[in-house]
Amino acid sequence: MIPIIIILPLLAALAAMALAGDYKTAKYLAMAGSLGSLLLFPLVSSGTFSFAWLGVGGTALGITTMVTPLNSMLMLIVLVLGALAMLYSWGFIELPSEQKRFYFGMLAFEAAMLAFAMAGNFITLFIAWEFLSVTSYLLIGFWNGKSKANAAARKAVTIILIGDLALLGAMAIFLNAFGTLEFGAIISAAQSTRIPLSAMVLLVVAILTKSAQFPFGEWLTDAMEGPTPVSALLHSSTMVKAGVFVAAIMFPVLAAGGALWMIFVAGAITAVIGAVGAIGENQIKRVLAYSTMQEMGLMLMAIGANAVAAAVYFFFAQSFYKALLFFSAGISIKATGKENLDEIGWLTQNRLVYISTIFGVLAMAGFVPFDGFFANAGLAAGVRNNLLVYAFVSLVGLTTSFYTFRWFILQTKKTDEGSAIEYAGQPKSMVYSLVVLAIAALVFGAAFFWFGGFITGGTPSLVTGVPLTMGAEDAAVTTAAAAAGFFIGYVVYARMKKTAAAPGRSMLKQTYVADALNAAYAYATAFMMTLGEGIAYFDDALSDSLDKVGRFAADTGNVAKRLVHGEINIYIIIFAAGMLLLLSLAIA
Amino acid sequence: MNTYALTFVVLLALLLLCNLLMTLLRRRGPQLAFNVALLALLAANAYLLQTDSTTYFGMVSVNPFSAFFFIAITSGILLANLLAYKYSDDYCAFSLLASFALFGGCLVVAANSLIAIFIGLESVSLPSTFIMLSSKKRGLEPAMKFFIMASIATAVTSFAIALVYGASGTLALEPHQQGLLLSLAAVLFIASLGVEAAVFPFSVFIPDVYQGSDAHVVSLLGGVNKSIGMAALIQVSVILFISSEFAFTAIAVLAAITMLFGNLIALSQKSLKRMLAYSSIAQVGYVLVGIATKSQLGIEASLFQIFAHAFLFIGALGILAWLEKSDRKDLDDLVGLYKEDGLAAGALSIFVLSMAGLPFTTGFIGKFTIFLSAVSAGLSWLAVIGVGCSIISLLYYVRIVMAVFTDKLGKKRSELDPATAIVVAVCLGITIAFGIFPQPLLGMASGGAAYIMALVPH
Repeated sequence: MIPIIIILPLLAALAAMALAGDYKTAKYLAMAGSLGSLLLFPLVSSGTFSFAWLGVGGTALGITTMVTPLNSMLMLIVLVLGALAMLYSWGFIELPSEQKRFYFGMLAFEAAMLAFAMAGNFITLFIAWEFLSVTSYLLIGFWNGKSKANAAARKAVTIILIGDLALLGAMAIFLNAFGTLEFGAIISAAQSTRIPLSAMVLLVVAILTKSAQFPFGEWLTDAMEGPTPVSALLHSSTMVKAGVFVAAIMFPVLAAGGALWMIFVAGAITAVIGAVGAIGENQIKRVLAYSTMQEMGLMLMAIGANAVAAAVYFFFAQSFYKALLFFSAGISIKATGKENLDEIGWLTQNRLVYISTIFGVLAMAGFVPFDGFFANAGLAAGVRNNLLVYAFVSLVGLTTSFYTFRWFILQTKKTDEGSAIEYAGQPKSMVYSLVVLAIAALVFGAAFFWFGGFITGGTPSLVTGVPLTMGAEDAAVTTAAAAAGFFIGYVVYARMKKTAAAPGRSMLKQTYVADALNAAYAYATAFMMTLGEGIAYFDDALSDSLDKVGRFAADTGNVAKRLVHGEINIYIIIFAAGMLLLLSLAIA
Repeated sequence: MNTYALTFVVLLALLLLCNLLMTLLRRRGPQLAFNVALLALLAANAYLLQTDSTTYFGMVSVNPFSAFFFIAITSGILLANLLAYKYSDDYCAFSLLASFALFGGCLVVAANSLIAIFIGLESVSLPSTFIMLSSKKRGLEPAMKFFIMASIATAVTSFAIALVYGASGTLALEPHQQGLLLSLAAVLFIASLGVEAAVFPFSVFIPDVYQGSDAHVVSLLGGVNKSIGMAALIQVSVILFISSEFAFTAIAVLAAITMLFGNLIALSQKSLKRMLAYSSIAQVGYVLVGIATKSQLGIEASLFQIFAHAFLFIGALGILAWLEKSDRKDLDDLVGLYKEDGLAAGALSIFVLSMAGLPFTTGFIGKFTIFLSAVSAGLSWLAVIGVGCSIISLLYYVRIVMAVFTDKLGKKRSELDPATAIVVAVCLGITIAFGIFPQPLLGMASGGAAYIMALVPH
């Protein structure tokens, strides 16, 4: 059953591409491929499965798949969200000419992601990882008529390639040190053998690049140039969390190799950058992208603090409400034709969309009984042995709640162009996929109570961490943080009717200055915005230098091109010169 | 004489005769049929020759190594024939000359003496020159460039052979005690064989020649001639100079600069043929890494990579030949290709991604085993440069894929013609089949490598 579940979307992808004229068939195929795999999911049996692929010079390498509860969890996320994203795309991708290419990319991505979710050794992981890079490049740059989309795709692929290289390097060192690339064998060997620090650093770099963590985080927000279903599936729920997933699988190795602090620090820095970025950003999807960065930062922090079970539950819960919010953003963009939060309004027009979005917002902000509440509280409980970290996580929770409501309230305002906006007429397929996710965000909160026993208890690599629990005080703190965030957001954006673009400082002049909390928060916002600008500057500088490296390579190529683009006598001279150089070296 | 070897010679003679006759009669159709049938039989026969290991007349030897290349070059020429039938101005001349080149190629890869290598290389490069000249719409220029460089290479080869004879008193292909004369001979061999095998800096003329020639001719030059040149380079460097530290240091350095040169220049190319020309130079760099390891694993990986790249290249050039029919030769002309023909679009993408090292294709297995062999032979620095170059290469290969899958309004469907479609499908089949089940091909390559390594002292 294991190969079929991967091969089915792949076959559908090829069929969609091979289809001659009829673009409509492409979307039916996409639905059939993703739903078919989803239906096959219950038949997947746990355990490992492997076959020998190539044996070279005494080293045998094979494909291994591994199905533990952790793997099943990611598979389920991919399958459910994959099917929903296809359904959503029915309405979202309208141009007939785009459909074949789009569904091809999405289905190929889904197959790669499923393979990734089931990887049982580094060879399989690496292959799936590479396919993810290629398909995500195609999907980010899907609207390649836009130069921004092309640039974003290039930037993403450049940074991700650094991660590929790092992963390959880590694999080579593991192979050298342990003589195997199987996860199980490496994990058990790591308990007794010293692991080279270089392998740990490379593995962490791979994790950080794929999950858009500091200092490799920049590509994710740019990747929002892709179509919304792509942002929802790849860049919030599945691919972008590949790094976190690897960290969870390799948790015992990272712990034994003393590398947990690295992901903890990187995660914490990213959580700050993401939170600040989300507050300062006005583009509807980029806000969500920053918030995704921040959430992944929290997950990595939690893993770094041994609370791997809490991180995995966060991973699970976040997938659904974040996909929901992206889907909602896609509808807003489609209905208003705008992407700036200041220009978007009238979200209230469509009841179904409005209520579903509220579910998502409440979940992300961390209100009972949505899954986001359990995720936040569980995470806080996981790091409770360190009060500083606990405070940090709670503060980040408060910030999350604030920018979530900022994002939401700004969309509900009544702009001047009310009659021109068509929320009501949005395609049913888009609206219903939103509704399904809203229900999921509500229902999966209850999953918290068996999650610890089932998922983390059944997965060998997770049992060593802090178990998943939650005390009454964690619940109280989480709720308080969410409520405070909501209160500030409500005051600033609903009562004071601030625009998204309003700089924090001018808030001080308002009549609500007396509200100390508000003022403090405004100062904090202003400070964080300045900080955010600084970080953005740093990011720009980094991307500039990446550009320069690329341009340097091209320039070198140009010079060399001029040298060789010539006549036969030049060729002969180069031939003779090369030969003479070697000859003189031989004599010397 | 062994039955299979005898059959091989008889088939080869039959191929030459048939082509002579048909060229005189000017019958294109039957000539293609004969060529396809005989070349397929030759390839099948070569597969049976793998277990053999006999030397004839002290000149040629049938062994697993030569059998491996027999298969590669006969199949390569078979596919080039199909393309030429469709695109050549003068198919009769092409296939006659190609069968001469095949004869020379077989001599080179089965050589047991330097004389056989010399004669064989001559009988590859002269027909190739005439093939280029037989194109009506292309000028003299590429043919002349190729001819002059090949002549210089010939002169240098003969001087190198003279040095070897002077130092050792024999022309047999066997390990020699090293001395200054032999180091000089090694350099001369590397330089002259590097012309045919496309080693930088002896190959800087190649992109010009490729760009100036018809695509089906380029498929022969890059798919077959280059494989023959690489085979000669492996035989000469490993067998004659295995104990020369200098020769292998030189090969390692040349590998590094060939990879860097090919990949960096390919980055800034707009013409597809030039880009593929530079990329094929870069691929030679990877093969050189395998040779530089002096190990059985390295040679095995190199053989695999040569085989893999030959078919990737021929397949890609098949699509280029089809594009050139409608006068499209730049990267920008690829935009919207996927709407025109799904097979062409998908296959071209897979070919170039495989060149970059896409898993489950032959390109990945070849590169992976080469880098593995480099690491286990203590040449990690070469492996690092190799991986870095692969990543650079992804940047320009992905541009091709991106262009192919970009929308363009008003694209009409126009399908690959059957001959090209067969070539593309066969190359695609080889790329994917041996990418997923590499063991048969790896086994053959390892047999060839074991034969070569058994000849030399360890």
